Amino acid sequence: MASQILPLELIDRCIGSRIWVIMKGDREFTGKLLGFDDFVNMVLEDVTEYQATPQGQIKTKLQQTLLNGNNICMLIPGSSGPDGDS
Amino acid sequence: MASLSIQEPFDLIRLSLSERVFVKLRGDRQLSGILHAYDGHMNLILSDVEETIMLVDGMDDAEPGQQVVNIAKRKMDMLFVRGDGVILVSPPSRA
Amino acid sequence: MSDASPIAPPPAQTPPETGSPPPVPVPQGSPTDFLKGVVGKRVIVRLTSGVDYRGILSCLDGYMNIALEQTEEHVNGNVTNRYGDAFIRGNNVLYISAAEEI
Repeated sequence: MASQILPLELIDRCIGSRIWVIMKGDREFTGKLLGFDDFVNMVLEDVTEYQATPQGQIKTKLQQTLLNGNNICMLIPGSSGPDGDS
Repeated sequence: MASLSIQEPFDLIRLSLSERVFVKLRGDRQLSGILHAYDGHMNLILSDVEETIMLVDGMDDAEPGQQVVNIAKRKMDMLFVRGDGVILVSPPSRA
Repeated sequence: MSDASPIAPPPAQTPPETGSPPPVPVPQGSPTDFLKGVVGKRVIVRLTSGVDYRGILSCLDGYMNIALEQTEEHVNGNVTNRYGDAFIRGNNVLYISAAEEI
C-alpha cells in the first residue's frame, strides 16, 4: 500500500538539504533549505539564482534569502540545480 | 528618524498623509502628489498630481544605450489610484 | 529536524496589534525566524520585475509589504533612484535576501 504522505511532508524532510526551486517564470534557485511555511515561502542559504535571458543565463549568489512562495512552480529535493555545481 | 516610530510598513504611509509622495506604478508610470487617503489595498487618493510615463521606443533587442526613452508627463488635480498597480511609495525625505 | 510538526505554523500574517508581538514558538529557520533576524539589517529586495531595492529593512507585515530605509533602486546593476524611506507593496516581492551577516 502506498504510504500516505503529504506533499509538504516531503519538503519538510528536505530541511537541511539542498533543493532546486523552479519558479513560474524564467527563474530558478538552488540553496540549502532552512525552513518554509504554509504558503511555501522558503528560507534558503548559500543560494544561487539562475535567470534565463535572451543574452544567456545570469547567475547571482545570495546569502540567506526568504523566497516568496507566490511564484514557485516546482521543487526538486536534493538537487544542486541546473548545472549540478555549487 | 521615521524608523523610530514605525512598527509596520503602513505606518510609513500614515506618516505621509498630507505630504507629497512619490509612487511607482506598474507599466513604467510614476506619480508625485499630495497623499490624502489610503487603505489596506494601498488604494490611494492623491491631489495636485504629476504623472510621468516612460515609453521605450525601438527594438527590444537594441542595446540599452540605443533605446530611445520617451517621457510623457501630465497633471491631474485629484486622482484615485487602485492599490494593485502600486509597486513602491516613498514619503518625502525627513532630513 | 523533528518530524513532530511537518509544516511550520503560519507566520504572523496579521500585523501585531500591540507593540510586542506574541511569543509564538516556531521551528528554527522558518520564514518568521529569518525575518526576525534581518529586521534592522541591510537587505536586497528583488521584485518579480527584476528590479532590486537595497537598503535597511525597517519592518514588514504578513503580506510581505516592506518598509526600507536608505534605499537604492538598482536596474541592471545601475542605481536608478534613491529613497530615504520606501514602502514596497508585498505582491511585487520575489525575495528578501540578507546583504550582511545575520
